[in-house]
Amino acid sequence: MNWPIGELDEVRRLRVLHAALPGTTLAETVLPDPYDTVWPVLSDLEHGFCAYAPGITAIRVTDRDGDRMRADIRDRIGLRAAFDVVLRDGWCVMQSRLVVFGMAATPVDGGTRIGYLIGLRLPGIHRYGRLASALARPFARGVLGVARRRWLSRPRDA
Amino acid sequence: MTQRWPDGDTLSDPATRDRVVRAAQAGDAIALSDLLDAITPYVRRLCGPIALADAADAAQEALIVVMRRIGSLREPAALYGWVRVIAVREAVRVARGSSRAVPAELPELPAPDDPALAADVADVLDRLSPEHRAVLVLRDVDGLDETEAGAVLGVPAGTVRSRLFRARRTFRRAWLGERSTR
Repeated sequence: MNWPIGELDEVRRLRVLHAALPGTTLAETVLPDPYDTVWPVLSDLEHGFCAYAPGITAIRVTDRDGDRMRADIRDRIGLRAAFDVVLRDGWCVMQSRLVVFGMAATPVDGGTRIGYLIGLRLPGIHRYGRLASALARPFARGVLGVARRRWLSRPRDA
Repeated sequence: MTQRWPDGDTLSDPATRDRVVRAAQAGDAIALSDLLDAITPYVRRLCGPIALADAADAAQEALIVVMRRIGSLREPAALYGWVRVIAVREAVRVARGSSRAVPAELPELPAPDDPALAADVADVLDRLSPEHRAVLVLRDVDGLDETEAGAVLGVPAGTVRSRLFRARRTFRRAWLGERSTR
């Protein structure tokens, strides 16, 4: 018997992860290119991702086992942190001792929907998570806005 | 309640399940991602037949409730029974809140081996209310008996049993009568 099965794309799953993580904020946008064009670039953490993520200057994968990685990430002001990473088709979660990132993508009419999650991992964050989320919201939107502008202005193959 | 582990469950190993659930309860994002991976297929299977066109919304809402309340799960071994209750109730709630028409008078449920079910499950389900779809899913997808299904839905086992009994006869008559006029 073929029972209908509910669909749940990766951006919806990122919304769930956001709901489970106090102190995080989530922003979404649609890039006007097919998923098969967008995701291979963004999921190339050491090269493609860095080119579009403002504030991050370098990512170096130090260990890899299937969809699990360890990576060193360096930011614009020179801070460096080790992250645990899960990366697979349409889904990426990165976590250091203090910070969590998430990225998800799914094909939609007219392009690819991208979700971007960012937040702090601090003691007692569940007590002031709403405030932290509200403060981080403009930052997340700003990051995604810059990434979108960079994507739209990127050099394209003839 | 009986614990039944879904096919392909990535947390079937008790030690792994305990570790992932405990880490998720502590707010570890990687563990939450792993937990999401493990329970999403099960939640989709429950929400699909109950919420139908609203299944994606129902699955998302159910998973949000599960993940927000994960800290209240005392025993990781009870994970799937706990998820089942949340998913079925959320699916019914979302389906009832949908703007889609719900039959004013409930048709009745077919037996598991009723040929009408095999013929067109989606069409059959669309004729039922969300509560009746939930009974059907708990019995036929999850294999629960009336007592277990009643516990999930918060109704007495006798209510489930009598509903099923009366349901089968009426549904089959309506279904076969309609098919014979096509």
